[in-house]
Amino acid sequence: MSDTVIGTAEGLSDNGAVVPTLSPKESMAVAIAHDLRDGEWVEVGANLPVPRAGALLAHLSHGPNMTVMLAMTKVNLFDEPVVEDFEFITDPRARRWAEAYYPHDRLLSDMRFRRRGVFFCGGIQVDAYGNSNLIGTGEDYGRLKFRGPGGIGTCNATVHNGRYHLVTTSHDPRVLVERCDYVSALGYGDGSQGIRERHGLPYGGPSSIITPLCVFTFGPDRRAVLSSVHPGTTIDEVVERTGFTFEISDTCGETPGPTPRELEILRTRIDRNGALQ
Amino acid sequence: MTTTDTSSAAAGVRRSVVTDARDAVELVKDGMTVAIGGFINASHPMTLVRELIRQQRRDLAIVGAASAGLEMDILIASGCARKVITPYVGAEGLGAIGPMFRAMAQRGELEAVELDEAMYYAGLRAAAQCLPFNPWRAGLGTSYPVVNPSLVEFNDPIRGETLLAVPAINIDVALLHAAISDKFGNVQHNGTGFGDRAIAAAADTVVVSVERLVSTEQIRQNPAATSVAGADHVVVAPYGAHPFGSDGHYGPDIAHIRGYVEAATTFLKTGRRDSVDEYLDRFVYGATDDVDYLERIGLRQLLALGEY
Repeated sequence: MSDTVIGTAEGLSDNGAVVPTLSPKESMAVAIAHDLRDGEWVEVGANLPVPRAGALLAHLSHGPNMTVMLAMTKVNLFDEPVVEDFEFITDPRARRWAEAYYPHDRLLSDMRFRRRGVFFCGGIQVDAYGNSNLIGTGEDYGRLKFRGPGGIGTCNATVHNGRYHLVTTSHDPRVLVERCDYVSALGYGDGSQGIRERHGLPYGGPSSIITPLCVFTFGPDRRAVLSSVHPGTTIDEVVERTGFTFEISDTCGETPGPTPRELEILRTRIDRNGALQ
Repeated sequence: MTTTDTSSAAAGVRRSVVTDARDAVELVKDGMTVAIGGFINASHPMTLVRELIRQQRRDLAIVGAASAGLEMDILIASGCARKVITPYVGAEGLGAIGPMFRAMAQRGELEAVELDEAMYYAGLRAAAQCLPFNPWRAGLGTSYPVVNPSLVEFNDPIRGETLLAVPAINIDVALLHAAISDKFGNVQHNGTGFGDRAIAAAADTVVVSVERLVSTEQIRQNPAATSVAGADHVVVAPYGAHPFGSDGHYGPDIAHIRGYVEAATTFLKTGRRDSVDEYLDRFVYGATDDVDYLERIGLRQLLALGEY
């Protein structure tokens, strides 16, 4: 099979064959997959179909030595014909593939192994300097306007994994804000130089923000820069739906789509139930 | 229990720790710090939680699982919880944020102790190690030490760097649910056991409800699987995690959980308690005990909760 990139807005491949148009969530999964390298460890958290699909796509397409942490197990699914999706992180069916089944406290106490890890961090707010908030919104912490679910493990995972991305499935000015009301996962703080080093954090801040419309990376001033837009999205739409101002990278173009092989893997082995549609 | 202890010892008989839910929950006094094991939609000791609500304990500081589920929400709805200590309250796809947790926190009527999962385990570890705190790194530069002033920055005497001191989470009574135990409190979970070992290690008293009581011979067949060695009290509670799943026994009762979420969401949106009170009346207060509760759920619905 050719490695020609397909998935333009019109749903045509380079050889003219009609393919179903990529959904925004598929574009996100593909962007995630293209960033991951063989040998890396990816923890797939609860109820996060997009990072799950992206991690599995990297694993099944070019990562035979990747490790996926799935529902408290350690698995390698490279030869698995179809990877079913689970509704709950507590689903014991993950055990059918498990090479290890972790007590949760061990996963949150042992940190050294995470150096090979790549993490995907969500947020009810994500800001222009890559900070994330799962605590809540509103000025008075004692009477939050919106009480979030709590930070879960994101504060820690964004410090001890070798690298991480921010991911949100709602590209909305209320989510992508200039400054988070509270910071549960530190990105680049207020943007001042060396903030992570000053706190002794071993690795860098977020590499990107991946949304249903686009990918932002971070500039030398540690502020979000528009890096690519997904098929079917315009830069104007991104500007309109983003709550912070941003520069546009000189190299900004369309987010690279999947090869035919990647699209086939995504739709037939990873997302058979169409969670990304 | 002391009397039994003395008499069994005097008689040269090893003492059984099996008790019933009512007696076990009487160990919990108003104002105590109580932990609830499990993880989101699985393995919460619901027989014990429902009994806690029936006995109307008040003013509790409740340590949830690292990711708590709606057992925490139900405890908030029933007025047992003054303070909750957990990094998450929700039900994944069935409800991203616990509706009562959200409502009461937004009204300023519930103290939520803000922690990340790793800080949570650092606090449990400190308690288990009989230390005042465990150090942790992640959290520096975030809002955690601001909104949770019990997290204190300190100067590490070895390398001179600034770290966070996470205070011990000392638990008076831990309530857990597992697959099996013998009558001497040798408990085995199926599968991961989530954070239950860490909770048990941080508690003065450990109560475990189990799906089945088994012989000590069966425990000895796989001693490496013993996850809580020597629970203080064991309560036999088949379907004791319902409406949540119990690994190896049944999956979550999704329809029931959705029903609760709907009732609690009505309160969140309108401030009216009638639907959530109706839930509590029907499934908790109205049931004399958990066998009565299971009859209210119905055999047909329980038997349909296969895992696969």
